[in-house]
Amino acid sequence: MKNFSLVGKSVRRLDAIEKVTGKATFTTDMSLPGMLYARVLRSPHPHAKIMHIDTSEAEKLPGVKGVATWQNTPREPFNATGAMAFDLPDMPPPILDQYIFDNVVRYVGDEVAAVAAVSEQVAEEAVKLIKVDYEPLPAVFDPFEAMKPEAPDIHRCPVAKNMVGGPITFEFGNIEEGFQQCDSIIEETFKVPVQKQVQLETQAALAQVSPNGKITVWSTTQAPHPAKMILSKIFGVPQSKLRVLNPPYVGGGFGVRIGLSGKAEAIAIALAKITGSPVKIVYTREEDFTSTDTRHAGQITVKLGAIGTKLHALKINAVLNSGAYCSFGCEVPAVCGMLSLNVYHLPFPYKNYTGFSVYTNRTPAGAFRGFGNPQSNFALQSVVDMMAEKLGIDPLQFQLQNITQAGDQWFLPYPCTTSSLPECIEEGAKSIGWERRGKLNKPGDTKLRGIGMAVGTHGSNSFPGNVDYGGSIILVQQDGSVTVSSGVPDIGSGTSTTLCQITGEAMGVKLEEINLVFGDTLNTPFEIGSHASRTLFQAGRVIMAAADDAKNQILEYAAGLLEVPAERLDIKDSLIYVKDQKEGKSISVREAAFHAHQRNRQFIGVGRANPMNAQPWHAHFAEVEVDMETGFVRVIKVAAAHDCGKAINPQIVEGQIEGGVLMGVGYATSEEILFNEKGKPLHNSIHKYMIPTAEDTPEIEAIIVETDEPSGPYGAKGVGETSLVPTAGAIANAVYNATGIRFTEIPLTPERVFKKIREHKKM
Amino acid sequence: MITIKFTLNGEPVEVIVAPSDMLADILREKLHLTGTKKGCGKGECGACTVIMNGEAVNSCMIPALKALDAVIETIEGIGSTDRFHPLQESFMDEGAIQCGFCTPGMIMSAKALLDKKLCPTREEIKEAIAGNICRCTGYVKIEKAVRAAAQKLTGLEGSK
Repeated sequence: MKNFSLVGKSVRRLDAIEKVTGKATFTTDMSLPGMLYARVLRSPHPHAKIMHIDTSEAEKLPGVKGVATWQNTPREPFNATGAMAFDLPDMPPPILDQYIFDNVVRYVGDEVAAVAAVSEQVAEEAVKLIKVDYEPLPAVFDPFEAMKPEAPDIHRCPVAKNMVGGPITFEFGNIEEGFQQCDSIIEETFKVPVQKQVQLETQAALAQVSPNGKITVWSTTQAPHPAKMILSKIFGVPQSKLRVLNPPYVGGGFGVRIGLSGKAEAIAIALAKITGSPVKIVYTREEDFTSTDTRHAGQITVKLGAIGTKLHALKINAVLNSGAYCSFGCEVPAVCGMLSLNVYHLPFPYKNYTGFSVYTNRTPAGAFRGFGNPQSNFALQSVVDMMAEKLGIDPLQFQLQNITQAGDQWFLPYPCTTSSLPECIEEGAKSIGWERRGKLNKPGDTKLRGIGMAVGTHGSNSFPGNVDYGGSIILVQQDGSVTVSSGVPDIGSGTSTTLCQITGEAMGVKLEEINLVFGDTLNTPFEIGSHASRTLFQAGRVIMAAADDAKNQILEYAAGLLEVPAERLDIKDSLIYVKDQKEGKSISVREAAFHAHQRNRQFIGVGRANPMNAQPWHAHFAEVEVDMETGFVRVIKVAAAHDCGKAINPQIVEGQIEGGVLMGVGYATSEEILFNEKGKPLHNSIHKYMIPTAEDTPEIEAIIVETDEPSGPYGAKGVGETSLVPTAGAIANAVYNATGIRFTEIPLTPERVFKKIREHKKM
Repeated sequence: MITIKFTLNGEPVEVIVAPSDMLADILREKLHLTGTKKGCGKGECGACTVIMNGEAVNSCMIPALKALDAVIETIEGIGSTDRFHPLQESFMDEGAIQCGFCTPGMIMSAKALLDKKLCPTREEIKEAIAGNICRCTGYVKIEKAVRAAAQKLTGLEGSK
């Protein structure tokens, strides 16, 4: 590996000082003179037609400045996610099934009206004064029920009853022929729950509409440019006059705001237009639970065939619950199949996937860290574990014999160039103590220990599913310091630090001389946002291109000053020097920039890049303890070994892995939103929703096994989502190892586990 | 409306409150100290944690009237850019910060612990921050940062 000055160093995060002193600004902290506060009236019904809305009492309440309903807001359909903004030309057009407010409500929590008032309290009071006459419609909550002919139509669906778009299919070879050749086949169906992002800052926006029609909206979005495009369509305002920005920090994302933040931006702008004042909306935590996208729940069936100990045929089917609106209902089923199908290398690719999502009258599902991959990975890794047992082979050896390796052919339209998955498996096994597996319990133990593993892959951007590009502009200031722009936000993943490290490395400029402009549509070229594990990978590549451009201009200019050809010059620590001379001439970037300035010139770098995608790999090992008397599953340790390419900032990479592991522990053992028979979510607060706390955290060992990925910036790949992907599978396999009971449904709550222990008469 | 006085970050303050006002809103809206975050408004996430009379409390659950004559510390009062509190320093060094929304509350809970107990066990640290939800970090580096700060503070105490 090369000798870097900034890349590969765990430099202190550049946002750290603001964040530890309480000075970091988030949308929820913003205020403007004359600002009003908004509150939303939400549907108590899972499905109903609004026959009449009477807002007169609400409007009479002192302090109320405006009320928005479907009758006085744009009737422009949209999809609140980036699905509407980065669709590809050769794919079906995006499904636009939402309005700011509609005259039909489709889930408990759907938007009915909103009030702007001088305080949140007044707005809240006014919301209660709005009288709505609903005509309840039949509702359906289960995707299989929703596909039956007698089910109510939630939206017009041209392909099949309540199906979101059409089925996503990947088909290679005659799958039935493949299975006929196998000597071992296992087929099993798994159920996965609704999981919630629970990012710490709820959805929020502050909108200002100027009298000349320009709109500025500060918000919690993880995708400002796509949000700009969506809002431009809703309000009929040119994109050039619509500025979406983070202020600049965002309290987490995890996929919940790839596009609009719920509907916060649209509601705030609508009310700002009605009232003529700036309007701020902050979702309550309950609204964030009931009325913003969740992870798709669903059912995944895996059929796996082997000849000897070599996998031979793989078929996956997924039926996902989309809830009341499309969101990413077409993209998530695609990712659900596309990644799991490529974890294993089959001699002939007998691989088959069909998956789709189905409308129901529940909270919409959308993007959530992993984006369909954790669902299918849990199912696939469980079946692989079952197959290893059936064949009488150590699961670890079985994995090593069958995983896709660097250079293997697969069906994705980009090559698998690098993989350290075999080393990840080795390192993870060492960390967990794999050799102890099967020797952890003695007869009579009521608390049984087990060890399990799972492997997986993911992507490093949205290619080939979406438009995925970006641009960057680098301005070398008159004192030689560097302003670099990128349209990606920093939702906590460290972008505003690592992109500066990349700029500094690429230009040879000191880190303290660099300032990143980010998360602001006015000052940055188009970018699809911070999601899809793409921020560092994609924006990093783009910035490298801009840095190269700026650096070349500096070197060419300096060549004249130093009277040395540009190709013999380089920059280090903001000093331009002659490469092949130890004691040669030099000039600082500062001097060169000012010299140029006095001669009417500025160095401006422009960068564009459309890299292919790259595949990160990971192997997770879990040790658990199952209390056979209570059904409580305690995760003792997770060893998470990751091929993230080059770790630009290892400490930040570790943080990504550790956080994702714990979210995966929650997915596997406790997190779930259930709905009652009337479609009301039962888990609508942090207290009711069992999110892991510090006390629930197992030992987590994050292990980085670097590769040098040629398509990534300095060899980096994505790492934002990977650690959530194989965690549930590793834990479920560990629980099987402990108890001999195969769980086909997560989360492994004490209730669910205890019931199964009773059924299996294990105690 | 009632006027109340209390000590905020070492300075006397006087503020007019309504009986229904909560301390978190007074701090954020009236005193413009937005370092104290609100993540739920129901005492469930810990983002609004401040130290009141030596105890870590969820300021969104404390009626403002209860602040009368109290001694209150917020994230803005525990250190500055030229003299960070050891917890602020160790949160930065250990990489215990991601989105940063939980960070002020997390630091205040940890400070309340370290103010009382210089050498807490790992279990005591976990217990002290169990009411502070962090969705980004998996708490690994946060716990490490609190331990590092405790060590620094013990060193400081020892050198006095």
